[in-house]
Amino acid sequence: MAAPEQPPPEGSKPLSGLLGGIAQAAYYGNADITEELLRGQLYPETAPEEFHALRAKMGGLLQSIASADMDLNQLDAFLTAQTKKQGGITSDQAAVIAKFWKNHRMKIHESLINQSRWDNFLKNMNWRVDLKSQSRHIDQINTPVAIVEMELGKKGQESEFLCLEFDEAKVSQMLKKLSEIEESMTLLTQTT
Amino acid sequence: MVRALEALDVGSVADKINLIPQDFFAELCEQIIQHLNHKIPGINTAELCQRIQTSGVEINVGDLAKIATIISFLFSTAARNNLSTEELVTTLGNAVSALPKHAVQVIRHVWNEQGESISVSEDARNMATVGQFVDIKWKLGVAMSSDTCRSLKYPYVTVTLKVADPSGQITDRSFEMTIPQFKNFFRQFKEMAAVLETV
Repeated sequence: MAAPEQPPPEGSKPLSGLLGGIAQAAYYGNADITEELLRGQLYPETAPEEFHALRAKMGGLLQSIASADMDLNQLDAFLTAQTKKQGGITSDQAAVIAKFWKNHRMKIHESLINQSRWDNFLKNMNWRVDLKSQSRHIDQINTPVAIVEMELGKKGQESEFLCLEFDEAKVSQMLKKLSEIEESMTLLTQTT
Repeated sequence: MVRALEALDVGSVADKINLIPQDFFAELCEQIIQHLNHKIPGINTAELCQRIQTSGVEINVGDLAKIATIISFLFSTAARNNLSTEELVTTLGNAVSALPKHAVQVIRHVWNEQGESISVSEDARNMATVGQFVDIKWKLGVAMSSDTCRSLKYPYVTVTLKVADPSGQITDRSFEMTIPQFKNFFRQFKEMAAVLETV
């Protein structure tokens, strides 16, 4: 067997691209980004097995970082430890990873959140206000009502449209309850 | 009306009606006529069914809903035709021979007491294309971890809307919202209130 090749050039562009490609496949649901594609585009001089090892290492690091949703302090400590390890990363690589995470953290975290939303959620909402011109009861004529259409559904499934009528009293009732939710939410963000 | 009742196949539910104890059947008819009179937003079929089942009677929500629909049709048609109590009972008897005696008694009583006050317009049917909002329940949760992410820490609101569908049946509809979605939801209702006030 030939002597091992020199490690691939560690210019920030290829590694950054690699991390992007890994994220595309793992977090943004892009199945077209294969290992072969990445190697050809970013590391054409690297042998397949070596590239495979690099991709696996970087993928593992990114997964650890994303799973812990690391803030800058945690990230710094983590990456520093990785540079000190046997078979770890270089400080140049650490810098590229840190920059990548700073730019993509929110989007990756959101994607992870979405991966665990399995219940019905509110996809969209529209409304209009009608004037009731006909009614079963004479006293309801010319009262304004809000017609609300809510699009509900589970991730990746067909939506269900819920169409509801609210008169002024019902809207007040709703607002009261929504205020309660908002209050609870404020308390929650204050204590965490 | 006799033909309509026959078409609805009231006979098929007669034996189901027979299963329901008289006081529960009376409660059902009361709710139906109150709904037709706009005193209540809908008929709590699911809740009533649960209580009937607890009393030891085997009946499912689907059957109870079918019964409710038929009785509702019966009362609203009778209202449209201005039937007196005796006329209603006679018509019922002509269409459905198998209806249990206690059920007929309940129908007679409920119609006698409250049938007069039902005012049904020709366009009543067209009105009911949307559901009525009845109530809202909520809870606020935080998803801490998942199999794909150890540190999710994402707050979300779960809301259950109690709605009365066009036929009057009350059902629950639940869904989740993220914080930004909730804020948007809240804002939309505030806008709605503002518009309703000015119209």
